[in-house]
This record gives sequence, structure tokens and C-alpha cells, in this order.
Amino acid sequence: MTSATETGSVRTGAVGIDPAIESFLYLEARLADEARYSEWEALWDDDGLYWVPMSPDADPNTDLSYVYDNRRRIRSRVAQLNTGSRHSQTPPSMMRRLLTNLELLDRDDDTVTVGSNFVLYEYRYDMSVWAGRVIHRVRTTDPERGPRLVAKTVHLVNAGAPLPTMAFLL
Amino acid sequence: MTEVETRPAPRRNGVRDLVRPDRVHGSVYTDPEVFELELERIYRQGWVFVAHESEVPEPGDYVTRRIGREPMIVSRGRDGKVHVLANRCAHRGNRLCNAERGNSTTFRCPYHGWTFKNDGALVAVPMRTGYSEEFLARRSELGLAPAPRVDEYGGFVFASLSPDGISLREHLGRATGAIDRLLALSPTGGLDLRAGWMKHRHFSNWKMVIENNVDGYHALFTHQSVYEAVREAKVSHVPSKVEVYVRDLGDGHSEIDYLPEYSRLDEEFVWFGRAPREKLPRYVAAMEEAHGPEDTHKAFVVGPPHTMIFPNLFLAEMNIMFVEPLAPGETIAYTTPALIPGMDELNTRMLRRTEGAMGPAGFLIADDGEIGARNQLGLAARSPEWLMLARGATTDVHEDSGTVNHDKSSETPQRGLWQHWASVLDAPEGVNR
Ligand code: FES
Ligand SMILES: [Fe+2]
Repeated sequence: MTSATETGSVRTGAVGIDPAIESFLYLEARLADEARYSEWEALWDDDGLYWVPMSPDADPNTDLSYVYDNRRRIRSRVAQLNTGSRHSQTPPSMMRRLLTNLELLDRDDDTVTVGSNFVLYEYRYDMSVWAGRVIHRVRTTDPERGPRLVAKTVHLVNAGAPLPTMAFLL
Repeated sequence: MTEVETRPAPRRNGVRDLVRPDRVHGSVYTDPEVFELELERIYRQGWVFVAHESEVPEPGDYVTRRIGREPMIVSRGRDGKVHVLANRCAHRGNRLCNAERGNSTTFRCPYHGWTFKNDGALVAVPMRTGYSEEFLARRSELGLAPAPRVDEYGGFVFASLSPDGISLREHLGRATGAIDRLLALSPTGGLDLRAGWMKHRHFSNWKMVIENNVDGYHALFTHQSVYEAVREAKVSHVPSKVEVYVRDLGDGHSEIDYLPEYSRLDEEFVWFGRAPREKLPRYVAAMEEAHGPEDTHKAFVVGPPHTMIFPNLFLAEMNIMFVEPLAPGETIAYTTPALIPGMDELNTRMLRRTEGAMGPAGFLIADDGEIGARNQLGLAARSPEWLMLARGATTDVHEDSGTVNHDKSSETPQRGLWQHWASVLDAPEGVNR
């Protein structure tokens, strides 16, 4: 979890984060919670990467991940969820997540990178609690289209444990 | 979700009554006594897969595993040999090694400092003056308990916690052919199983998981969303349209065999997203150099096995899966890609394919897990008593290769598995199968 972007000087609090970016992250969380798959997919830019590694220091080129979706596979994942016969999410889990401790980790001409912690309550057969660190990289250069998600990395606290099925959007 | 239905215990010699040629009794998935009997007869006395040699390539390398409920260390000693040892300090039982993998020539118990070599020998007892000379002289008897039998085939290491029984070769029977088929896809004949194991908790009985692995009937329904939304199946899942067979290999092993269909198509890499050779130049060159163009073409057409090796190892085409029974209604499945040593261009693709299909978020296995959990929930209803396995029972053909059915949706694999299961659980005391 100590990726290069995290070791640099952290700009304190949410103060360094443009309110539009913060709202965008909350929107992303809410669309995932509410199983609004296509709307969630529309937040992604063309080079998007959705990654759920199995350990904090994993290298996706040599290590297996739980999820390593390029933009094309994000589209497939959403299409599968939209069929209504993705049994592991039919009906979709009831979910609410809290996104907290937002920190601006990096900024360049094109993108901002925000790190945060999350707690996700998922109810399906039973209540499950998921928690972890999430790093969002958001592109901000196109005022017409608004913020676009370039990368979302989810480090689950229990990534090392045997995980129950998690076919929902983390 | 994990509550367990209690039923009248089967008499040890009554297990036979739970299995009939075309059906199996619901209690085999739910009864805690059946589960205990399985742990003893199948997981303690029989052969189980524990690790692959590539996971412990260098002296000192180790991984920790479980055989049934028992924690084990699989290590490579200085002698180059793979040791399978009980992960339990010989002093007072502390679980000695608590990492999933690592490299260490010794294990030192943090409780009172006893130290063991990675071949199990006790090498140091601190404050030895407190022990009698007599006791210290017998120190060599106080090593870590080795699994009484350890053997390997094609780099797959198996162990048994019983000193007696049939050899690994006898246990594997015709299933060695499946391992050979997988290794034929490697220029060196070796594999690399070090990408990490995806651990997936299934809320169903372990046999439900392994039966499903060789169930050629469910794909059109369970995985409908994949074929509808993502991509067509590699070959049709409509049994009448393809030459895909199912086979009971004997000894509890079984498979779905795509070979006849792939051979008929005579097309390379149908099993690997129909990747063209140009995308895998180094791999193709290495294969041709090792095996010659003809055998290489054949291996690329034939592809990997889809074979369940009883009781816990599944050669899932280019993935390896093994299962660990936790409770009657709970199982962990471990999955990793069968990487080919040094073939990065191929291996990166393989990682992405495994992530796409397998594990808790996989396009396929997430739904298998869900269906399995619902199966276990359904079995809480005690009527009807039996689960049906009759599909294709009258069209099975007995061949040298096993009992084959040319309709992939036949429940031939499950029938074979259950007959073997009953024969193992029902075997007379002292007869380990
Ligand atoms: S229990 Fe290990 S040294 Fe005492
Ligand atoms: Fe399946």
C-alpha cells in the first residue's frame, strides 16, 4: 500500500481537493452501492483500470489479482451485471459505503490522485462488512465531460483471507 | 448460511446405502458425521495434493498448507528434498510456522525456543540443563512429525497421513494422463505456480464444489450471463452441437474432455481465446525447439486438461485449483494460473484470463459459488431424499480410457466420483484406498 504516490508529501485534509472531485468520488461510491451499473461505467475514461490486488505490494505483471479490469473488461463486467442473470448479484446486494479520510496524494496537469479509507456494509444473505484503502485517479482536463475515472485501486483489509464471493462493484 | 442440518448418523458400513448408481442421498452434503468420516478416510488415510514443487524451488523455501484440518509445512530441505511436516511444535503443540510462504533453514518456536530444521529435526532445546541426559539422548525422536507418505507426479506433490495404503501411482491411475497433457504445453515440462493463490470461500460442501468442476450440464444456465453479455463460449455448450465428452477415469477422477472437438476443428489455441501464434512468438519458438513442430501443433490443438483428481486437485485447463473442506457446508477453493516458466508474454495473458474467470469476483466462478451456496441452502429441506445423477446413465460407454459419455451434459463424472467415494468410506478397517 506504500505505492510511490503515497510516500510523497501528503497535502493535508480534504482542503487540497477540489469539491468537484470530492463530489465525483461520492457519486462513484453511490452508483456502485445502488447497482446503477451503466451510470457507474459512464464515469470511466477510455484508459480506465479497476484493480483489486491480493496483497498490498503486489505487481500485476507477475502476481494474480482478484480483479484487474482494463476498460474493455470493465465494460464486460457491467454488461454481465446488466443481464439480470449474474446469479451472484441477482438480486443485487444491498450496500452502503462510507468514504473517509480523503487525502490528495498527487496532482499533475492531467489528473489528481486521491487516497481514502472505506467501509462497505453489504447485505445479501447476511450482513458483511468490507473495508480497505482506495486510491482514485481522476482526470480533470475535459470541462465538457467533467471528471473521469482513470484508475481505481482497492486494497481490501482482508485481501489475504479466503474471501466470499464479491461480484458487486467494490 | 453455514448452519448444518443434523441427520441420523450413517453407520460406518452404511455409507454404501447413501449412494446408488443413479442417485445420492442428500445427507452426504450436510451430515457432520459423514464429514468427519471423510476427513479420516479420504483426507487422512488417502492421498491428497499439498503443493507444487515450483512453489518451493530453493532449499529453505516453504509454504504452509492444511491436510484436512491439520496444519502442515511443505519445505525444501538442504538435501533438495520436499518435506511435508506437521506444523506443530513437538514440545507443547504451538503452531510453529505462521507465514503462508517464505525461506528459512530452521523454525524456532516462539513459546519456549525449541528449534527445528526445515526437514523436521529438532536441533536446539534451550536451557538443556533442566532435562535429564536420558531425555536429551532421545532428542532425535522429538522432531516435527513428517507426513508418513509423500510422493510426487509431474511436480505435483501429494501426501498421506497414513503409513499404509496404495501407492500414489495406483491412486492417480488414469489421471496421470491429465497431468501429462498439461505438461505437454510446457517447453521444459515444468510449471510455475507462484503467481499467488486466489482464496475463495464457498458456502457449500466440498464435494459440491468438485462435482461442479466436472459438470458439463450447468454452463448454459449458471453461466448464461457470460455467453449473453461477454463472449461466446470457446465451443458451444449445447451438447448436441459439439464433440465434447465426459469421462469417469476411475478411482474417483473424472473429466470433461474437449479433445475430440478441438481435434475435429484442428485449430490451435481454441482453449486460449484463439490467440494467434504471432502473439506468442517466444513461447511458440521454445515449444518447437523442445518438442518439434508436429508435437507442438498437436499440443496447441489438444490444449490442457479439464480434470478433477480425487479428492482435492482440479486441473482447470490453464488454472490449478485445490479445495479444502472446512465444514459440511463450507469449503475454500484455491486457484492460481499454471504459468509456463519464463514465458512472460504467455503468463501475463494467463494472469488476466484467471482473473477474468476465476475466484470470488470472476465472471464464471462467482456464479458457481452462488449456485453452490443455494444448493446447500436447498438441502436443508429433507425431501425429496435423493439427488438425481441419472443423466446419460444408459448411454455410458466403457472404454480403455474409462467410462465415457459422448454427451458432455451426462452426469458420468459424478457417478464415478460417488462410486469411488462410497468404496473409500466403506472400505474395511485397515484398507486405505
Ligand atoms: S511449545 Fe514450542 S517450544 Fe514449547
Ligand atoms: Fe461453472
